[in-house]
Amino acid sequence: MAIQIVMDRTGDSRHPFNPDDVQEVAKAEQRFYELTKAGFTAAVRTSSGQTSQIRMFDATAEQTLFFPRLVGG
Amino acid sequence: MFGFRPLLPGARSRLRATRSLFIRHGAEGTPEGRSLRLLQQWLSPSQREQFGRRGYFEVVGSDSGKRYRIHAGASVNVCEIDERGRLQEGLCFMPIGALPIGDVMLAQKIALETCEDKARAVARRFTPNGFHFRQTRPLG
Repeated sequence: MAIQIVMDRTGDSRHPFNPDDVQEVAKAEQRFYELTKAGFTAAVRTSSGQTSQIRMFDATAEQTLFFPRLVGG
Repeated sequence: MFGFRPLLPGARSRLRATRSLFIRHGAEGTPEGRSLRLLQQWLSPSQREQFGRRGYFEVVGSDSGKRYRIHAGASVNVCEIDERGRLQEGLCFMPIGALPIGDVMLAQKIALETCEDKARAVARRFTPNGFHFRQTRPLG
C-alpha cells in the first residue's frame, strides 16, 4: 500500500491507496493535483533517507507528504 | 493487613512497560504527539540521533549548501550556522494553518532541503540570542 499524508491541525490526514488498483490510483492522482494546485508542497523520501520535492504524481512512491504554503513569521 | 501482596517476579517490569505504553499511546493520540512521530519518521538517522540528543537537528540548504539548525518550536526556531556551528542569521517561516509543532519543523526541514531559496524568500530575519534557542523556552 502507498500512502498520501496531508499535514493539518490534527497532525495529519492519511489516505492509503493500492498502487495496483487503477481506480484508487486515479483518486490519489486527483488528490495530488488538487492539493498542489491549492499551494501544498509534495515531498517523498528517497531510499537513502533524503527528501525530495515532486511536482508530478508518482504512484510508486511509498509515502507522499503534503505541507501547506510557507509564510514568514 | 492492608491487602498488599508482593509482586511476582517480572511483574514490576511489566507494570512499567504497560505504563509507558499508556503514556506513549496518550501522547500519540494528540496532534502534537502524532506530528512529532511523523517528524521522527522523516528525519535521516543522523538528524534523528541529533534531535534526540541535543533537541535540534541540522539540515543542508538545497541551493546554497549552507547549514541550518532547526530547534524545537513552531516559530523563531531556525537559524543559519557557520562551519563552526556558530549561530548566524535567524529565519522565521512556517506553513500556514495552525499546525502542530512536529509538522512545522518537518515542513521547515523539507523546505530548506528541497527549495531553500523559496523558504528564504518568505522568511522574516531575526538576530538569534540565547533565549530563542533555550531548550526550556515555551515552544511555539
